[in-house]
Amino acid sequence: MQVDLANLSLEENPDACILTSADGRVRFWNRGAEEVFGYAAAEALDQSLLDLVLQKSDLEAAREKFQQTAAGAPAVWECAARRKDGLLIYVDLSLKTVRRPEAGIDLMSVTAKDVTPLKVARDANLLEAKYRGLLDSTPDAIIMVNTTGRIVLLNGQAEEVFGYPRRDLIGQPVEILLPERFRGGHVGYRGNFLSQPRARPMGAGLELFGLRRDGVEFPVEISLSPLETEVGTLVMSAIRDITERKIQERRVQEANRLKSEFVANMSHELRTPLNGIIGFSEFLIDEKPGPLNPKQREYLHDILESGRHLLQLINDVLDLSKIEAGKMTLSPERFSVSEAMGEALTVIDAMAQEKGIDIRTAIDPQLGKVTLDRAKFKQVLYNLLSNAVKFTDDGGEVRIRAARSGPDRFQVQVADTGIGIRREDFSRLFAAFEQLESGADRRFQGTGLGLALTKRIVELQRGTIAVDSEVGKGSTFTVELPLAAEEVMA
Amino acid sequence: MKPARVLVVDDNPTNLKLASDVLDCAGFEVWKAADAEEALAVIQRTKPDLILMDIALPGMDGLTLTRRLKADASTRDIRIVALTAFAMKGDDEKAFAAGCDGYIPKPIDTRKLPAQIADLLQRSSPPS
Repeated sequence: MQVDLANLSLEENPDACILTSADGRVRFWNRGAEEVFGYAAAEALDQSLLDLVLQKSDLEAAREKFQQTAAGAPAVWECAARRKDGLLIYVDLSLKTVRRPEAGIDLMSVTAKDVTPLKVARDANLLEAKYRGLLDSTPDAIIMVNTTGRIVLLNGQAEEVFGYPRRDLIGQPVEILLPERFRGGHVGYRGNFLSQPRARPMGAGLELFGLRRDGVEFPVEISLSPLETEVGTLVMSAIRDITERKIQERRVQEANRLKSEFVANMSHELRTPLNGIIGFSEFLIDEKPGPLNPKQREYLHDILESGRHLLQLINDVLDLSKIEAGKMTLSPERFSVSEAMGEALTVIDAMAQEKGIDIRTAIDPQLGKVTLDRAKFKQVLYNLLSNAVKFTDDGGEVRIRAARSGPDRFQVQVADTGIGIRREDFSRLFAAFEQLESGADRRFQGTGLGLALTKRIVELQRGTIAVDSEVGKGSTFTVELPLAAEEVMA
Repeated sequence: MKPARVLVVDDNPTNLKLASDVLDCAGFEVWKAADAEEALAVIQRTKPDLILMDIALPGMDGLTLTRRLKADASTRDIRIVALTAFAMKGDDEKAFAAGCDGYIPKPIDTRKLPAQIADLLQRSSPPS
């Protein structure tokens, strides 16, 4: 049997042996080319070779090499090429013209040798000598990847985290460390990062996962930064296994959920007997079952007030825990500030009249309507106004002002001539269960939750609350809110 | 005029007594039941004009009982007012969806309750 050795050598050549027309279109594509670039001969024929396998950034240089070769000076160079599957490889390219004018042949012979493993091994050795000691001293797993996405360096922590010995990872595409479903997207993502390399911090953005050699996925936090080295730009990624932290986070979430549920149930259970305490004392004070003597009336009044105080406390605790659990909802509606103010004042006026306190309101007519949760807005007003009246001595004054404070914000100010607050106490003012004059001489009734709750409600609507005060002269609370708040669903 | 008959259903004896006594004092003829079964027994004996219905009841809950009464032609015209301590968003909608004609959140206001009930009774009868 006659064997065509020349043909055999061409067919069995592990390198890509390609012929193109003078204008660069593929005319011949051997099996080696199929292996190196991943395209079958039928797919490659008639395509522009350079457009098919090179990255845009390398096109200009390659065209020059073609022209130089055509002019009689054969070119040899190394560059990155893109396989059909998107993977980048390094190739040594050599060009030579093939001209047989008598047969009308004017072609270009192109040989491409995949030198990726060689180059990676070379780079890996160089980098290992230079950076390994440094990398092993960091607590995170560190993996360095070259421009083709091949792993060129890793530290001991990376071996441990992913469960591979170093020799099994060097030269592999970094996608080997990702769960299957992320691999395709990652190849493209990697290309984007290299075209605009910039440091990206740990955990910025997405939920990411790594894949161990034994097939187990684990949550990771990754930070990326480009690193210029003598072998080109590398991408250094620091990888942290956050399995433990995720478990802790879930535990904390679960504990919080249980706490909120407990508070909600407890407040329901507490409210039920209060229904009886408040209801029956009210019923008795109204003398529905029969007449009372003055002492009985006084004591029943005390029971009723204590019951209402307890109910307020329970409602405030429930509100606070709802806000802390992220379960407080906001349902914004359009309403007029002065109307809402009037409604809050009808409740306060009785208290103020009893103490002879003069309340004056000045609402800028230009303020008009706002879009906020009306009930919550009134709750804030009510809390500030009842504090102002409560902490102001008989015959004092309370001034309310409301006006725009910016293109999309407005302010409500409540100023009193009350006992005032020491500057060093400002920060404690908004903490839960703090009433500044606590102790035996506590003159003022209150749950100690009002301002804590007010601050949380204001902040939930993207507003701010501030206080200014002078002891003995009075206090001014300023709430700033957006003219329109967004809806908050639980 | 004959006083309106009101059936109060609540499993908490104190709250049952409170609502009953407040309404009794305001001149209503009041019947009591601690759960759905007792309520059904009362309804068979003497059909009330209105039921003040606690939602959280042991056994059959207040909404289920409401649906049952509203599905029955002989009890459909009884006004039913839901009474619940869970003054949460959506509870009122659930009550109306079950067929309740009104909704009063707990704790009840003893000063307003008789007027609230009288008001609900005065509205025109639901179609039967």
